[in-house]
Amino acid sequence: MAPRVAGGFLFLMLAALADTLVIFIAASLTKPMQPALDTFTARTAIVVQRESGGSLEHARKITELHRIPDLLLLADADVFPRLLPPPFTTWFAEFARNRMVVAYTPKSKRASDINPSNWYDILRAKDVEVGRTDPDAAPAGYRTLLMLQLAERHYRKGGLAKSLEENAPKRNMRANAAELAALLAAGELDYIYEYQSVAESNGFRFVQLPAEIDLGDPSRAAAYRQVTTTIRGSSPGTTMTVRGEPILYGMSIPTAAPHTAAARRFLDFLMKPEVLRQLRAAHVDMLDHPIIVGAGAPPELARGARR
Amino acid sequence: MELDASVLETTPPARQPSAVSRAAIAVVVGLLASLFLLFVLAPVVGLVAAGGGRGLSSLARDAELRGSLLLTATTATIATILGVVGGTPIAYLLARRDFRGRSIVAAAMELPLVIPHPVAGIALLLVLGRGSPVGGALYSAGLRVAGSATGIVCAMLFVSAPLYVSAAREAFARVDARYESVARTLGDDVWRAFRRITLPLAGRGLTAAAVVMWARAVSEFGAIVILTYNPKVASVLSYDRFTSFGLGEALPVAAVLVLFALVPLAALRALRRETAR
Amino acid sequence: MISLQSVTAKAGSFRLSDITFDVPQGSYAVVIGPAGSGKTTLLETIAGVVKATSGRITLGGEDLTGAPPERRRLGIVYQHAFLFPHLTVQQNVEYGALSESIAGDVAERFGVTGLYERPVASLSGGERQLVALARALARRPEVVLLDEPFSALDPRTRTFARRQLRALYYERRFTVLQVTHDFAEAGLLGDVAIMLDKGRVVQKGTPEDVFRKPASPYIADFLGAENVFAGSARPIKAEPPDWLDTAHDQVTELPIAFTTGALTFYALGDLVSGPAHAVIRAEEVSLSAEPSPSSMQNQFRGRITEIVPAGALTKITVDASGTPIVSAVTARSVRELSLGIGKEVVAGFKATAVHIC
Repeated sequence: MAPRVAGGFLFLMLAALADTLVIFIAASLTKPMQPALDTFTARTAIVVQRESGGSLEHARKITELHRIPDLLLLADADVFPRLLPPPFTTWFAEFARNRMVVAYTPKSKRASDINPSNWYDILRAKDVEVGRTDPDAAPAGYRTLLMLQLAERHYRKGGLAKSLEENAPKRNMRANAAELAALLAAGELDYIYEYQSVAESNGFRFVQLPAEIDLGDPSRAAAYRQVTTTIRGSSPGTTMTVRGEPILYGMSIPTAAPHTAAARRFLDFLMKPEVLRQLRAAHVDMLDHPIIVGAGAPPELARGARR
Repeated sequence: MELDASVLETTPPARQPSAVSRAAIAVVVGLLASLFLLFVLAPVVGLVAAGGGRGLSSLARDAELRGSLLLTATTATIATILGVVGGTPIAYLLARRDFRGRSIVAAAMELPLVIPHPVAGIALLLVLGRGSPVGGALYSAGLRVAGSATGIVCAMLFVSAPLYVSAAREAFARVDARYESVARTLGDDVWRAFRRITLPLAGRGLTAAAVVMWARAVSEFGAIVILTYNPKVASVLSYDRFTSFGLGEALPVAAVLVLFALVPLAALRALRRETAR
Repeated sequence: MISLQSVTAKAGSFRLSDITFDVPQGSYAVVIGPAGSGKTTLLETIAGVVKATSGRITLGGEDLTGAPPERRRLGIVYQHAFLFPHLTVQQNVEYGALSESIAGDVAERFGVTGLYERPVASLSGGERQLVALARALARRPEVVLLDEPFSALDPRTRTFARRQLRALYYERRFTVLQVTHDFAEAGLLGDVAIMLDKGRVVQKGTPEDVFRKPASPYIADFLGAENVFAGSARPIKAEPPDWLDTAHDQVTELPIAFTTGALTFYALGDLVSGPAHAVIRAEEVSLSAEPSPSSMQNQFRGRITEIVPAGALTKITVDASGTPIVSAVTARSVRELSLGIGKEVVAGFKATAVHIC
């Protein structure tokens, strides 16, 4: 009893004395990032407070609730120019890739049959439960729709996107990728359209989709831009058109961040080779060098970065 | 005979706080109570003031909001009916019979209250989801739990039934068992005595308990959202609007929800006033 | 009749252990005991409201140990009326009644017909208890269980209720088991007395047995009466009042002549004539060498047969024409009167000291 009390007290003392780092992190990055965060705290004694959730949710917390974190790690770099333009942020860095896959488990129906050639036929079938993320709520959702359109073009099957979309109905939608993964794990769904990183870190099996359609290759950006989809706009009654883009994770230090020094130390730490290795082992497809957009990025990042 | 003054001394009176300290205590208690009341009322009043007008007027155009409110009310009502039907016998047994394992049953009935709501949703998914024996059987029979109104009802029932059972148990306990004993000696069997004596006497308390359960069901979010995201109940919708459109759009929805929730509270007050009469 | 054999039961913190007694058909039994001795639990066990964990309960010759209360053909009246608050008086009385007319008759006997339309909440305590009695008896039960039904009543209602109940009892001869913690308020000592303490039967028998030969000093102390006589009472002078004519708000203290053995003494009471008991506390009996010319109406000559010192008082038993009368006097009086075995004395007591029940 006494050692616990002492330990708790010590922690509180450390917390009071030590620096804090508040990170808003994408749900799909949370699990892979946790070991890195723990190592960082052990080395620097900076206490990390992380909040995980959807990209949209994080953006709203900043713009509406005026809760400014020290660091943002989001699953969609697109959110920065769209929802967090200056003065909220003046720069962002694309730091990791991801791609859309079709994830499943051994329990899924026809799990033994599915392969890269027949996945769309199985996912069109009426007897399987297919889930996807809500396009109005999270980037993974509209990326799914964009991927389906690319698939229709790629496989030259008219109406494929629509039938696949309809076979993943509203009742099988969830607000973010992590909740969707939970449903698959629980056996409630047979197949889900998911990020590869999330599929891997959950230990799901997955069908690798062609690079032409999986939004995972930055060099194919032009091809991706051929497709668009309409989602809910930023005020009720409005709509917005989004274009296909390669899936890139983005990070930024908001302009009004309270502990910029700690944030920069973290970025320095993140760019270390052993950390990159560890993150890749945790199925985060880290770019060798982050791509910086905008002005004002700290030197720790700019050092290894490309523009 | 002369009276010795010491004879007049009896037991010294108990030490009373002086008038000053009594007044001070009254002031402090009054202050604390007012602060507490303010703490509870201010957010609600602020919310309704900020969004109430817009929310109510938007009801006419906003089909999604109307549909969501209707869904919430319907599922909460179904859940409450199921809770009353299933929970009343349990409440009665807990109040009346001292059976072996009574404390275990009572504790089990209160468990859902301490489980964090998303955890409750996950637990329900594990038991009622397609991958479970029960859920799988329901699924084959065509009854979907997750992603349907059924799932909503299940989540509501799970988190709010304990409130009903414990309040109903109190209502039964307040009816002296001897009324039933007398009815039994006058020829009633267990069921008849329950129907003619216990139920009418506990009636107000049971109704109040059901209203509390309904109110709790309507406000649930965490457990429901795990099981059923679409169709959206009002709590899920308000959070969705917040993340999608921001505070400006979420406030009216939230304000309408609060006004909507005043209905059962008003009903409860009316019931209590009748009981006091 | 009521017959219990080795009955054990438990209700909350109250226990009954190994209860055995018989109450013959049509007789009136009194259960006496201190608070917490399990008297109410006993009634509720006989009623079937509390489950007997072992033993046998026979009512009217039928083994009803496992039977539910509704099959036991009995009525119970608690100290608190437990009238159903959501029903009117009429609905209460008619609740389990054999028929509305029988209910009406019984209600009239207890004088509650005028309250029929009233809601229960508007009744006074006394009125409620009368309704409760009517309700229980409207069912014509074979066994009537009473848990101190009169103790919370004002004296007027108490007398009236007791009288009506006794009248009905004499008429219908159901078996009665009445619980009391004070024999003086029981109003009728009955044919069988059962003494309960800590959930056990510590003594049973006729009232004289229990009062005269208490099984333990504790019982003797609890009962506190040394003179209990069985005999018959008859009112003097006036016609015995017909119960129908007596309005229940009038208390009549009649002069009564009570005969026991060879003695007749005078008392005041409101009993209908018939068999009864007379109870006199030993402290109320005074001894003197000669009859005193005072207002004491009861004086009897006799010889001292026993002298028992008991603390501050000495108990002296005087044999008066074959009836033993116990007197309690101070040691000083013993010396002053030179009391000794065989001495002739006069035992006297006021009519008001005689309690007829």
